[in-house]
Amino acid sequence: MAKQDAKAAAAKPAKAQSATGKPTKKAAQLKQVAQPKQAAKGKQAAKPKQKERAQAKSSSQRVEDVSGGGTNLLTAVPEPKYDWMNKSRQWGVRVKPGKKGLTLGSLNVGIYGEVPTDWPDQSRNPRGAIPRHGMPPVGYAVRDKAAMWADGAADLYEEAIQRRWAPATDVPWDSIEPLADDVEHAVCQVCTELCQYANVDIEAISSWQHQMAYGYHEVKQYLATATFDAARHYEAFRKRALYNGGGLGLEGPGEVNRMIIESYGGWTETVAYLFLLRGTFTMTMLRYLERFAHNDAERYIYARVIEDKARHLAYGIEHLQYSIAHIQHQAGVLATVLFVGDRIFARDLRDPVLREALAIIFGNGIEGARATGLDTWDAMMRDFMSSLQETCAWLGIPRSAAGMPEAMRRYLPPDAAAEAASADIPEAAQAAAR
Amino acid sequence: MGVSQEVHLGEKSMSEAAQLDVERDLDLGWMDRRGEWEIQARPSKNGLTLADIQIGDYGDPPVVSENQTGVPRGAAKRDGSYRIGAYGVRTKSEIWLDNASFLYEEALQRQWSSATDIPWHTIEPLPDDIEQAQCAMDTFLTEVEFVAGDVPARWVARTTPDFFEARNVLLCQVMDESRHMDVFRKRALANGGGLMCATGGTAGVVGSIDHSRDFTEMSSRLHISGEGAVLTIFRLGELMAYNDAEKAIYRLCAQDEARHVAFGVMHMRYMAETAPERHEEIHCYLDEAERGILSGSQNPAGQFTQTSESMAILLGGGKANFDEGRNRLIAIRKRQLQEYIKRVKSAGFGDRFENGRSQVPELLAEIAA
Ligand SMILES: [Fe+2]
Ligand SMILES: [Fe+2]
Repeated sequence: MAKQDAKAAAAKPAKAQSATGKPTKKAAQLKQVAQPKQAAKGKQAAKPKQKERAQAKSSSQRVEDVSGGGTNLLTAVPEPKYDWMNKSRQWGVRVKPGKKGLTLGSLNVGIYGEVPTDWPDQSRNPRGAIPRHGMPPVGYAVRDKAAMWADGAADLYEEAIQRRWAPATDVPWDSIEPLADDVEHAVCQVCTELCQYANVDIEAISSWQHQMAYGYHEVKQYLATATFDAARHYEAFRKRALYNGGGLGLEGPGEVNRMIIESYGGWTETVAYLFLLRGTFTMTMLRYLERFAHNDAERYIYARVIEDKARHLAYGIEHLQYSIAHIQHQAGVLATVLFVGDRIFARDLRDPVLREALAIIFGNGIEGARATGLDTWDAMMRDFMSSLQETCAWLGIPRSAAGMPEAMRRYLPPDAAAEAASADIPEAAQAAAR
Repeated sequence: MGVSQEVHLGEKSMSEAAQLDVERDLDLGWMDRRGEWEIQARPSKNGLTLADIQIGDYGDPPVVSENQTGVPRGAAKRDGSYRIGAYGVRTKSEIWLDNASFLYEEALQRQWSSATDIPWHTIEPLPDDIEQAQCAMDTFLTEVEFVAGDVPARWVARTTPDFFEARNVLLCQVMDESRHMDVFRKRALANGGGLMCATGGTAGVVGSIDHSRDFTEMSSRLHISGEGAVLTIFRLGELMAYNDAEKAIYRLCAQDEARHVAFGVMHMRYMAETAPERHEEIHCYLDEAERGILSGSQNPAGQFTQTSESMAILLGGGKANFDEGRNRLIAIRKRQLQEYIKRVKSAGFGDRFENGRSQVPELLAEIAA
């Protein structure tokens, strides 16, 4: 097996050995270590007699010793063949921890960092290992890089782990004081709906994750953190609802939930609905909830969920960007997806429950909801629509205000609404909406 | 509670169908639609845990869940909601366990980072045979760890949120396995080695963890048999470790695996107690698991030579000490079988070891001989 300095291997895989063909300095060092110190562990040196005894026996004796006469193939350990040794696609890799530790992304050196555009292998062959051929497939259905990839997935994965939190012990629960009945009721209602949002995150992501090819492990691993986050959100909002003399409220209207769950034509479409549309809305709502929180416990929960959601959004946007860059006509497909999504989103908006509950929280009561809370809702919706439109514009997904339902269009910034009103509605989008 | 009189809308129809023209009107009908009220959960000594919010109606998962819309357990339902759940797992005995809340909270408290919690700097160059053996094991573990991520994730999506405590534990497992998959990849690429040969240890054959069609069938293979065997190895990881980094990896992974195995044992116990009609069926899964307990390639201490030889090299201290490594490997197998028996007994299926159905006592006797 060709040995080489790991760092050099990463940077210059072609120079696995020195120009003279001699092993590099590091390889020589390794060899030096290998020869005189075979028994690297102290305990080996300390037990010479046992070692000698074992070496003195013949191989057949050894099999007999452990198998009660060599009759049972299950318990016996046959003579070693070592036929797996000296087999590696790239040896001599030595990745060192950086200032954020030894991160997943830093492992992408040499062939280990080569991420092909498709991964037809349906086993769990780790990327960079020598595959074992002839094994029946596990059944990975999503095998194109463009169908799931986001360049930042590995970093988001590590960030998620660093920023973990535990609602049981990190939330200052005792900061919650009794609230006015209407406000408590509104908080409980919002928590109920946020539980459902988290439930959809969990079910949508976990129904896709196992279908994704093993070669894109960074994405699979990042998504593991996303469902873990969502499990925590489900827990935290339920705990808040059951803490302060209230309980759970009324089930959400569920049109958007259905849209996300039923977008199983492709993961990218799910990403557009779950992360871009619902995600941007939830993020905006959480920012307002944090601003209008009634105690430190709520402030803490909202702030931490915002951090988690920011990663979900980052993955979602990076994936959409990658997908648009690598799949022909993808921006048009996503325009159609969102054209349909807008209509469904608008149907959920017709339902007054979430709007009223939020207005009560923002206005600190029912009267306050009428006085200022509904205005704050409007401001929140304008922020949401600005964020959504900005992201779509950045991604290059064409959006037409003219084709947008009035329930959303009314919250567009005036100039954007006027400008976009003249744009054509894509024909495909109209057909899909029909 | 008591919504103030001025806004109490009495018999007014529920608001979900309402379309208010002027959005300055408040409907507020939703305030009459709610779950059990006046709930005041209080933290216990471990904080506000899931167990602490299992109060009133909220603590009472149904024996058979009719929830197909994804409504949170205990919330008021809407009549017009779409049945989008398509949940296949709706019977409590199929997935439930009594200590899910505990396992979930513990998983949250014991999360760790493979990037920063492993003292990577303690790894020094090792003899080539030992580094190769370590990398072969790492390749195997990088390959198989995420079967326990892919598969639980798929079951979560199929399970009604009425059993969310169990689902949340499984989601922690997916997270844990993700970290296991990456910590072994990190180790393989950290010390002058690399990945070696994949084993195909999780191929999609009949009877595999991936292809199980029943949750308990899957759990018996994954949690009890597969992860049980790996847990024993991780617990004894110190014997194979050459530096503090490897010791930390095995110790932290063992901690996680112990929770995964506990899930399986506790679920099977619940099943044994609440679904006696499924006893014989469960025994059949265990028969199957035991047939592969030392054969096949899922138990690295078993008969698959790539992993068993690697382990013997690591346990003995090099190829030259293979025999000593072999003896330790056999000691590990013995421990695996003993712990397996203990788990299955604890799960309520210990009769198989008394009535001659299980071959494991026989295997143990042979090893002892
Ligand atoms: Fe694991
Ligand atoms: Fe595990």
